[in-house]
Amino acid sequence: MRALSASWYDGKTAVRHIGTARLSSESRGFLVLEEDGQPPLDIPLGDMEYGEKLASEHIYRRASLPDFRLRLPADLPPAFIAVLPAMRSYGGWVDRLGLGKALVAFTAVSVAAVALFMTAPEWLGPLIPTSWERQIGDAMIGDLGNKLCSTPEGDAALTKLLDAVDPEKTKVRAGVANMGMVNAVALPGGQVLLFDGLVQQAETPEELAGVLGHEVGHVRERHVMTSILRQFGLSILLSGANSGVGNTAFGIASLGYSRDAEREADAYARSRMAESNISPLGAAAFFERLGGDTGEDSAEPALTGWIASHPAPGERAKAYRDSAREGADYPPILSQQEFGSLKTMCDEDEDVEEFGFF
Amino acid sequence: MNGRTGSDSAFQFEGTWKEFAPIAFTNLLLTVVTLGIYRFWATTRERQYLWSRSRFVDETLEWAGTGKELFIGFLLVAILFLLPFFVISQVSQALILRGQETLGVMLTLLSFLMIFYLAGVARFRALRYRLSRTRWRGIRGGSDAQGFRFGLSYMWKNFIGYIALGLLIPWSMVSLWNERWSKMSFGPHRFEATAEQGPVFIRFLLFYLAPVILFFAVFIGGLLAAGLGLSGGFDTIDPNNIGATFVLVTFLFIFGFYFVLGLIAVSFYAAFYREVVGATRWDSVGFSFTASTREWVMLLLGDAVLVVFTLGVGYIFLSYRHWKFFITHLEADGEIRLDELTQSTTDTSRHGEGLLDAFDMGAI
Repeated sequence: MRALSASWYDGKTAVRHIGTARLSSESRGFLVLEEDGQPPLDIPLGDMEYGEKLASEHIYRRASLPDFRLRLPADLPPAFIAVLPAMRSYGGWVDRLGLGKALVAFTAVSVAAVALFMTAPEWLGPLIPTSWERQIGDAMIGDLGNKLCSTPEGDAALTKLLDAVDPEKTKVRAGVANMGMVNAVALPGGQVLLFDGLVQQAETPEELAGVLGHEVGHVRERHVMTSILRQFGLSILLSGANSGVGNTAFGIASLGYSRDAEREADAYARSRMAESNISPLGAAAFFERLGGDTGEDSAEPALTGWIASHPAPGERAKAYRDSAREGADYPPILSQQEFGSLKTMCDEDEDVEEFGFF
Repeated sequence: MNGRTGSDSAFQFEGTWKEFAPIAFTNLLLTVVTLGIYRFWATTRERQYLWSRSRFVDETLEWAGTGKELFIGFLLVAILFLLPFFVISQVSQALILRGQETLGVMLTLLSFLMIFYLAGVARFRALRYRLSRTRWRGIRGGSDAQGFRFGLSYMWKNFIGYIALGLLIPWSMVSLWNERWSKMSFGPHRFEATAEQGPVFIRFLLFYLAPVILFFAVFIGGLLAAGLGLSGGFDTIDPNNIGATFVLVTFLFIFGFYFVLGLIAVSFYAAFYREVVGATRWDSVGFSFTASTREWVMLLLGDAVLVVFTLGVGYIFLSYRHWKFFITHLEADGEIRLDELTQSTTDTSRHGEGLLDAFDMGAI
């Protein structure tokens, strides 16, 4: 067995040892380092670890002595290569697989992870218990307190509307927000708001039932939770950039939902209205007034708020109109008086505050 | 056995970019396909190469860190700091939204104060980590301090530096350098840093006053030009022409302003590094850093050209360029008694420079 020239540091002092390295002849279990005038140093092969490759040398370490360093020439004889730990360069997994295979494997895993992450809100949202969503929503928004309009008659009328479009035992919370904007939102935590501006625009209670049903649909179909999760994911991704875009609860609500989610919410509203025997024609008329068949150009500017983030009004109006039963005689959902009390709710509430986003 | 440093530079860089390129490109590739997770192993491979091609006297350095420990360091930071910070920012937003503005703002301020503190701790621990993973002749460095006190110093010294209209910034920088390096050691010997702010203060003042000086220079120049223009005769003045000239002059001024200010800033940093490295000692070895302002500017311009003309790919060579710049301009003088240079007894942290990574800062 030919001995190799070798140099090593014992990790205790900076003194360099220069000598030779050979494999022990008897059981081949040791690497023997010999230096003039010193007793030979036996290193169990199992204790050796690969360090790194230099221009013309390999560096080996010892597991039991973390600072021990041995240098052997780069062109090792096969007998040494066979028993010394294999070269490492990229890191454990890549070295084991080989660079090409590792690239393919990592790419596949990454694509899968990205796909899972991107679709997570869609499948994770509905799995989160409603009670959690309510707590998250409450933490995000808190008590809207006096910003909602309230009169005994108005509240009663709203409850009646809500009963018709939300059959669940635990109702969503609905309110009329004291704000002139023509809009309605579903907030995190199962809270639905009609803005006073929209209430004023409505010509029949059926129109309001349509809008309310739609927003309840967003809550019941778990779109709100999905949206929160999507926003949460985005903010994790953007946390370095700290964009501040849509970081508020209202940001989430106004960021809106996908077109599919909007159609789902519409479908929800239509089936609830059908169950409660409410005419869908009011809602249809509402959409026609918003945009009509002529497209969005004809929309009154004040109304664009609610439709901008929603499917084309013409298409929606048609869907509502088609859902009406031929020749059916729908009873009015609210009396004129009840409808009137909804309309005057914000004027008559003495201590209501202007609704602001903050 | 004694190693004598002196005549030639004690620090030499022996790497070539051709050797580095395969490392840099495979790192880039693996980092992309692992969505950035390979970054920690990439850093390790990069450093292994750079360290192993850096010679101190008669032996090259060795980087003994691992990708795994960097990764664990990052995970620790993510769980212990980033997650709480994220939660706090959400909570304070909710508080503000609920009308509890004071509480929300207080909470936000508190979390920023915490970040400020941790930034100081991170700078300390990053240097400690790098020294503890650097081997020379099998010997490593480190520090017995954890860096928590340095974090406090970092906060109040920076605060003082800025509160005095920024005039004490050189003092805070120099004093923090001294404090940090004096806690570090390599083998059995402590580093000593006794840098002073005097030598760098003039350049800082230049940087500090440059905006004012430039502003007045332009103001007076403008007045003079206006005077000349008026005496040149009314009939040649074309209003459109004046507009164009004005835009051009404004553009040149803004460009020139930032360029000049940048140059002065670089000259300050050049002087700063010459001072602080020059005032740092290790046992009987003194150090010096020889990069002039012109060399710093060339480095930065080279960086910019490299990145721009490769459409960003050149970015992967910046660490190589910076390390080479650092090693080539670093000099040492003195005597090292190798038999007295025994192993460091400092604790080594088991995880990497996670904190520093999170704040994205350099160690030296």
